[in-house]
Parts: sequence; C-alpha cells; structure tokens
Amino acid sequence: MTRQPRLAAHFAPLLTSLAAVVAAMLLGGIFLAIRGKDPVAAFAMLFSRGLGTSYGISESLIRMAPLLIVSAGLVIALRAGVWNIGIDGQLLIGALFAGVTGSSLAGQIPPPLMWLAAALAGIIGGLLWALVPGLLRVRWGLNEIITTLMMNYVAINVTSWLVKGPVKDPSVVPPQTRLIPVELRLPKIPGTGVHIGLLVGLLAVILVTILFRHTVAGFMLDVLGRNRQAAIHAGMPVNRLTLLALLASGALAGLAGANDILGVKGLFQGNWNPGYGFAAFALVYLARLDSLWIIPFAWFLSFLSIGGEMMARPLNIPTYFVDMLEGLMLLCFAVATWFERLRSPYGRAEVEIGPANAGEPPGPAVRETAVGSAAGNIGGRR
Amino acid sequence: MAILTVAETETMNTKTSQQRNQKRALGRPRPDAPHTSAPSDSRLPTSDSRLPTRHSPLVQMRDISKRFGPVVANDRVSLDLWPGEIHAILGENGAGKTTLVNILSGMETPDSGTIRVEGAEVQIAAPANALRLGIGTVYQHFTLVPNLSILENVVLGAQRSLVLDLADARAQVATMLADFGLDLSPDTEIRHLALGQRQRIEIIKALYRGSRILLLDEPTSVLTPGEVASLLDLLRRLRDQGVAVVLITHKLGEALAVSDRVTILRGGRNAGELGPDALAEASRESVRHRIIEQMFGAPEAAGHPRPVRDGTGTPLLTLERISTASAPGSLALRGLSLALHRGEVFGIAGVDGNGQKELGEVIAGQRPVTTGRIVLEGKEITNRGVAAATRAGIAYVTDDRLQEGTVAALSVAENVALKAIGRKPFSNGFWLDRRAMEEAARRAIAAFDVKTPGPDTPIGRLSGGNIQKLLLARELALDPLVLVCNKPTHGLDLRTADVVAGILREQADAGKAVLLISSELDELLAISDRIGVMVDGELVAVLPRAEATLETLGDLMLGGQRRTHQVAG
Ligand SMILES: Nc1ncnc2c1ncn2[C@@H]1O[C@H](COP(=O)(O)OP(=O)(O)OP(=O)(O)O)[C@@H](O)[C@H]1O
Ligand SMILES: [Mg+2]
Repeated sequence: MTRQPRLAAHFAPLLTSLAAVVAAMLLGGIFLAIRGKDPVAAFAMLFSRGLGTSYGISESLIRMAPLLIVSAGLVIALRAGVWNIGIDGQLLIGALFAGVTGSSLAGQIPPPLMWLAAALAGIIGGLLWALVPGLLRVRWGLNEIITTLMMNYVAINVTSWLVKGPVKDPSVVPPQTRLIPVELRLPKIPGTGVHIGLLVGLLAVILVTILFRHTVAGFMLDVLGRNRQAAIHAGMPVNRLTLLALLASGALAGLAGANDILGVKGLFQGNWNPGYGFAAFALVYLARLDSLWIIPFAWFLSFLSIGGEMMARPLNIPTYFVDMLEGLMLLCFAVATWFERLRSPYGRAEVEIGPANAGEPPGPAVRETAVGSAAGNIGGRR
Repeated sequence: MAILTVAETETMNTKTSQQRNQKRALGRPRPDAPHTSAPSDSRLPTSDSRLPTRHSPLVQMRDISKRFGPVVANDRVSLDLWPGEIHAILGENGAGKTTLVNILSGMETPDSGTIRVEGAEVQIAAPANALRLGIGTVYQHFTLVPNLSILENVVLGAQRSLVLDLADARAQVATMLADFGLDLSPDTEIRHLALGQRQRIEIIKALYRGSRILLLDEPTSVLTPGEVASLLDLLRRLRDQGVAVVLITHKLGEALAVSDRVTILRGGRNAGELGPDALAEASRESVRHRIIEQMFGAPEAAGHPRPVRDGTGTPLLTLERISTASAPGSLALRGLSLALHRGEVFGIAGVDGNGQKELGEVIAGQRPVTTGRIVLEGKEITNRGVAAATRAGIAYVTDDRLQEGTVAALSVAENVALKAIGRKPFSNGFWLDRRAMEEAARRAIAAFDVKTPGPDTPIGRLSGGNIQKLLLARELALDPLVLVCNKPTHGLDLRTADVVAGILREQADAGKAVLLISSELDELLAISDRIGVMVDGELVAVLPRAEATLETLGDLMLGGQRRTHQVAG
C-alpha cells in the first residue's frame, strides 16, 4: 500500500465532520434569516471579530484550555464505552476544591506549589464525584448515564450550598470563595495574553493519544468500548477498566475546573456553571474519538463561542445561538455518518461497534448483517 | 402436475397472486413430491417436479466483479439460477461466495457486470430492491426482532397499504407455519424459539414477501443434525414449488444431497459448474472428487493416522462435580465430572444446547461455577477468572468468533494479540510493542494461509473461515497445556477443516490435552481418543474411540440408554 491512499484514508472521516459543521452553519443561517436577521452579516461579524481581533484570538485560546482538558478525559470514557454525562458536575466540584485550596494557600507557599496543590485538589474533587457512579456501575450494574447525570444536579446544589456557608468568603456579600489575587494566578505564555492552562490542555491531549496508541491500558479500554464481550473473553479486568475510564474522565474534568479558577476566575462563584460538557461531547464526536483531532475542533468551538458572544450583542442575537449551532453540528454529524456508511468502499454491510453500546452488552459486530446499523450510528469510527 | 407447476411460476409476476399462490401451494403439500424419498433420488430430476426445459433462467449474473480495496472478491463471476432448482455454491474460505450472494441481495453493489432477472437487466442497489424483485435472503445472523411475535415479524415491512389486514395475514402465516412443520401460534414471540425455528421464520418471512429466489448463506452451520435434515427437506419442497434456492455450505454431503446444480468458486472466479445431468450421472464418490479438485485445485488430502489413548494415568485437568447456572433456576451443567490426560483428544458430542458451550466457558474461567472444583496440574483454578485460567495454561477457542472472539474494527494484528496483550512479546506490561504484534500476526497468517491484505486490515473484513483460522492461531500461540475448542472447524472449508483437525491431533500428541466440542460426529470420530456425550448438562457416557460409532453416539445424544463407561474424575 502506498502512502497516498493511507493518508487520504486518515483524513476521510474528517470530511464528514467538516461537512457536518458546514451544514450546521447553513442551518443556523437559515434560522437567523427566519428570525429576520441577516445571516451573512452575522457570520461575517462572527469571523471578523473572532479571528480578526487579538482579543478574539486570545480569548478563544483561553477558552480552549478547559475544553481540551475535559475532552481528553471524555475520549477515555467514550472509547471505553462508558458514558460520562457528569462532566459538568465533576468540573464544578473540582473547581470548588481548587478554589478553596488555592485561596487558602495563596501567599503562604510559593505560587507554583499553590497551583499544584490546587490542581491536585481539583483532580481529587472530580475523581470523587466520578467515583460514586463508578462504584454503582461496577458493583451493582447501575447505568452510568443516569447516575452521572443525577450527580450533576447534586453537584450544583452541593457547591452552591457550600459557597453560601462553610467555604464562603465572609468579607463579601455574594456567595463565593475567597479571591486568589491576580498576581498569584497562572502565568501567561510569554508574549501572549494566554495563560499556561492551554499548555496543560495540549499536554493532556497528547498523553491521552499516547495512552491509546502505545499502552496496554489504552488498548484494553479500546477493546472494552468496541466489544465488551470480547474483553471478557480475553480475560481483561472489565470492571477495573470501566472504573478507570470513569475516574480518568472525572479527574480531568476536575482539573479543567481548577484551570478556570487558577487561570481566569480566581474564585468559585455560587452560580457559575460553564457547561463545557456538551461542547466536549460535540467536539469529541466531531474528532471521531481520535484524540489528536480534538485540538483543531476545540479551537473551532472556542472560536465559535467567543466570536458568537462578540457578535451577539451588537446584532441583538441571543448568545444561545452558538449553543444551538453546537447542537446542530451533532445532529448533522449523526446524519452525515449515516451517509458515510452508505458510501463506504467496504460496503454498508460493515457494522462497527461504537460506544453507543455503552452499558449494554454490545450488538454483533458482524460483516454479514446490515440491518439495525443505522441506530447507534453516532458511535461509528473509522 | 407439471402443468400446474408451470402455471404457478407464470403467475408469479404480481406480488399478490404470488402470495396467494404460495399459500395455496404450501397449504397443500403434494403427496407425490419427492421430499420424503432418499436424498440420492430427490436430487434427480423427476418428471412431476421439474420445470419444462423451455424456461429461461430466472436470474443471470454475468461477469460480476467486486473488489474490496486490494482484494478481488469476485472476478468476472457468472451464475444462472433456474426456477425450481437448488443451486449450491461451493468454494474454499474466501472464495467469494458470500460476496456473490450479497451482490444479489443488494447488500453490496458490484463494480462491474450485469444482473438480469427474467431477462430484464436490473440494478440492485439495496436489499429493498432485491425484495421487490422477489429475491429473499436468510442471513446467517438473524434479523428477527426477538420481542415481537412471529406474525409481527413476518408482516413487518411487508405491508404495502397503510391499513394492516392482520386477520388475513394471520391466517396466511398460520397456514405457512403449519406447512413448515412448526407447531406454533403466529402470536408466539420470537425470543421463545430455538435457532432452527427462527431460521424457518426467516424463510417464511422471505416467502411471505413473495420471494421466488431464496438465498441461504451457510444456513446449516447453526443447526443440529435433526434440524439440518428437516431444513433440507423444506428446501426440496420449495424447489418443487418453483422457488430457486441458492445454498452456500461447506458440507459437501449436504450440497450433494439436495442440489440440482453446483457452482464452484475459487479465488473469486468460476472454477466449475455441475448441472443436473453431471450430478445424476456419476457416482457420489466421483462427483465428490471432481468438486474437491475444482475447489482446491488438488485432490483431497489423506486422512490422519489415528492413534488412541485410553485415558489412564494422572489427569492433567479434572472437573469435579461442576454445576453452573444458565438462567436463574435452571442449571446448564449438573454435577459434571471429567478428567483430561496429557496426549489425548477428548471429544464432546451432544445436540447443541446441552451444556457444551457452558462446559467450555467454565474451564476457560469465563463462567463461574456454583458448585464443584476445577483442578489443573494439582492447582485449583475454580472461579479464578479468565486471566488466571489463561496464565495457568488454558486456551479456549470460542464458537462465537464474531461476538466474543474478535473485535471487528480492530486489525488482524490487534486481534491476534488480544489475549496476551499484557505480556511479552506484545508488551512489557505497560508499553505495547506493535512490531511484535504485527510479527505474530504475520506468522499466524503464514501458518494458516489466512487470506487477508495484511496484518493491519480490520479483522471484520475477512471472510468467516479466515477469522476462524486466526482465532485458532491465537490460542495455539498461547502454548497452553489444555486446549478447549468449541466447534473449531465451524465455517472452514473441507481442506482447512482437515488441517485444523490434524493440528489438534498434533497438539495432543505433543503432550497437551485437547477438549474438542463439536456437533460433527465425523470430526469427533476422526481425531478423538475418547468421546463423551452430553445430554442436559450431564456427561451421560464416555466411550473409548473403539466403541464409538455414529450410531451409538447418535443414540446417546438423543437420550438413548445411559452407558457410563469409566466414570471420569
Ligand atoms: N467488506 C469487505 N471488506 C474487505 N474485504 C472483504 C469484504 N468482504 C469480503 N472481503 C474479502 O473478499 C474475499 C471473499 O470473501 P467472502 O466473504 O465472499 O468469502 P466466502 O467465500 O464467503 O468465504 P467463507 O467460506 O470463509 O465464508 C475475502 O478475501 C474477504 O477477505
Ligand atoms: Mg462466507
């Protein structure tokens, strides 16, 4: 096999994602037109502000950091066939832990140590929050989709209660933790206005890539996600792997929370909930669960949300518009993978198991059955 | 009689008349149809059931080619299907049989070539098109919805109008059920049915949709011997009613028992065709030889010498009164005891579903036992899990190669390394060694002559038989003490099956113990030293090879008198 088709084969799945993105933008444009807004002007402003201003560029890069970290974790979970819907809750707990740890250590110890301690606290927070659904899943077989989702609500309430009382900064009225002074927050990457959280994000993505390409654990997680029964048959520690996948994604979500506290916000506020979870799902699927492709898509979604915010106010378009675009992208992606299957050079008969089968024993991965392949399409991978 | 048959096929142009027809034809089995006579007779054209010669082929496939990446699966293959004929497609693993029928059923589109149905050229772009043309397929992996009733499954998607005329459909389905020898109500849910029954429902479903061409890809591989016989009977009856039946099988005996025409594929090309005359003329043996020669390009390999061990000495593996549950409240194994010795092949015979699969899984550590002990070389391995059993020296070739044996989307190399991934040479426990994985895959490919573009091809793209070869290669590479094989030659062509049987024998001769679970008595008799018969989760008899014959085994399998020779353990 020559190099050329191989490279093409590597990029082909991305075309589907790009098509989905373009289609979503078109649909979004139609929506704007129906609402009486000029879609061309709106997208022109989105691109010119998001890409053409240094504020737009550096804000996008700052927003990228937590998305990268969260998505790196989500890839681990989804490739192992574990549906961690609880990213947002794990992130909140992590952020709160980091806020409390950071602010109480700030000024007491050298900043790098404080950052490490706060990051560790964030990781532990996310980990603990993922541990509950993890144990419920491996001990009693409770479906993690439901438990992680419920844990989100618990997290929102627990954190808002905590910042109203036990960990509240007594010197101010609103419910929030004590502020980490600006000069003690994460430093900027030299020559930019972007804090080093971005590098942490990139590192996380690279480590996850290495995990799946080169380690036994990554290999086993992949097998588990694609065919659970085969993992059992091969003697893999299925329960431990499931737990590992959930904990890893929880830990990274917690780290992302710490990143925002240490790099941007400086404190944990009672009503703060950035909701990165959904964006992470969208971009992880657009990247076809291939961790390196997360980087461009994370940038793109960050750009969309920053550019969207920047265009929304002057044009009087609700900021939800960007959320809607993300949702449309996922929808278009699901449809596009279906078409992709029809066009596959290996025939539509090939059914691959994706993480769509999480929780249940997976269906047959059988070349000879085409029927029923449309369902669970979203999990299809190259 | 002949005139009636003609009339039947001629009215098959419209769907409704076709259905009515089917109902009429099936509802009134012909007493003189040859389906009850001996197989050797029924494949001869008989005056009352054959169609007049003026008929043209129902389907003409001409110069069909299909590539999958670098693999040429079909290379200018031609195939004619005649009404009222059973047409067997034979060929070694990877010869392109499945691809050819997939093209006809709309699952794959050919790269070039033409298909004519009743003389008119057609494009079959999707399974729905095939159905409209009267081409029905019985997939090996069934497509019925388990928690819908038979009636719902059959009618599902077949209704043209929005209003479901269930009363009429029910009557029709009930007649078809009765006619197919299924004593079932149309309202029975599919999940309550046995595999063989489900397969019949698949056939009913195809016929209900007006199929006059029926494609069956290795339909007998999931059936018990009794079910096979009645399936073949059914196919004969369908043939007599003018249906064109395409049958893919690796079992030459089956093919010869029912076919009117045989097409042989080799390396994706037509390698020979035997029409009714050729099949009728020569003796069974000479036909067999001709076919094998055309399939492989060489005469059949000689059989293996059969050494015999008597199962004495210290056992390598003992099972003591093993019980295990299947569904709550029902036992899949009931206090089964067994002792395996070095150097022996211990065959397990039994009608499918009598606990054989569970026996294999229990030894492999994949299924917990509720009572009893499993001891390997003096070390207890009961309920220690798969990883511990593998480490202790047990390898298990599952019969479910697609759903648990392999991960379809992962490469051949990754699948070959699947069970030993945490160990040398595939890893140091943490880092993978992909080069070692690839090398192992290359060795397996070479040793078993596996047809694949390379070790990095997703294993799901290989033909069924080639996947089976890799599965076996993987377990052998573990270099186990005890090799448990469940239907290891399932889906393998004759020659490869033979090679595999030879390898199992060699493994035993090299000092290992082989537990061979199989529904093919011939295979068991060919290489086993002792044969145990399982009925209802128990070992009802253990016979030394010398006392085992097809008859005694068959008798015991069907619950004949118990003869527990040498109770093992
Ligand atoms: N979807 C696919 N992608 C890639 N290669 C394929 C695909 N389907 C079939 N092939 C290849 O085409 C060849 C013919 O395969 P096919 O399944 O038709 O064989 P077969 O005669 O049915 O074999 P078997 O008896 O083992 O089932 C094989 O080499 C197989 O690997
Ligand atoms: Mg096949």
